[in-house]
Amino acid sequence: MSTVLILTPVIIGGWPVITAAAAGAAASLGLVVKESVKQAVQESVANVEENVEITLAESEVLAQNLATDKEIVLTKGDVELRIRRDERGRCTVCAKGKGHSKAELKQMAEEFTQKMTQCFVYNRVASELKNKGFQVIKEETMQDESIRINVRRWVD
Amino acid sequence: MAKHEVEITISKQGQVRVHVKGVKGKGCLEYAKWLTEIVGKMESQQLTSEYYEPETKARIDLREDLRTEE
Repeated sequence: MSTVLILTPVIIGGWPVITAAAAGAAASLGLVVKESVKQAVQESVANVEENVEITLAESEVLAQNLATDKEIVLTKGDVELRIRRDERGRCTVCAKGKGHSKAELKQMAEEFTQKMTQCFVYNRVASELKNKGFQVIKEETMQDESIRINVRRWVD
Repeated sequence: MAKHEVEITISKQGQVRVHVKGVKGKGCLEYAKWLTEIVGKMESQQLTSEYYEPETKARIDLREDLRTEE
C-alpha cells in the first residue's frame, strides 16, 4: 500500500459538463427534464409556492458559450428544480413546489446537489483514468450509495 | 513491468477517497498530485509503508574492455 488521499471536489466546467452531471443525478433520483423552460415559468407564476435556493460553494460554471438565461429545469411530482449559473459564475439549485415546506424543499435541493456532485466527479475521474491508460477492474455501488472504482495499469 | 492499482471511492456527498497501491517512492506522490488536480482539493494524505520502500529498478552494467593494439 502506498498512499491514501481524501479529496473534496471542486465543480469546474462548462455548461455541457454541468448538464451531463445534472442529467445523471436527475436519472438516479427519478427527476424528469422539463420540456420547456417557458412552460415552467408560466406554471410557477400560476401557483403560490415555497422557494429554496442552494449555491454550490465550490463550483464554477465556465461562461464559455453560455447564454445568460440558460438553465436546466427538472421535475418530480409537483416539485421543480432549476439549475443555473449565478452572476458570480457559481452553480445554483433552486427548488420550489406547492404544498411543500421550505425544509422539505431544502432537503430535496441538497440531495440533488450531492448526487450531481457525485455524478460530476464520477464522469471526470472515469474520463481522466481512461486517458491515462487505466483499465477498470471492478466498479460497484455500495450500500451507502458510494461508488467504488478499481482500476489498474502496467508501467515499464 | 510494475502493476499500478488505484481504488477510488466517491461518497454519496461527493467526497473522494483514493487508495494508490503498488506504487513505490515518489511515483505515488505524482499520482496523488494528478488525482488532486482532477478532483479538487486535498483534505488529507496518509503515506503507508510501501511509500518508503525503494523504487524497483532494473540495472544492467555494460562493460567494455578497451584494448589498445600493440
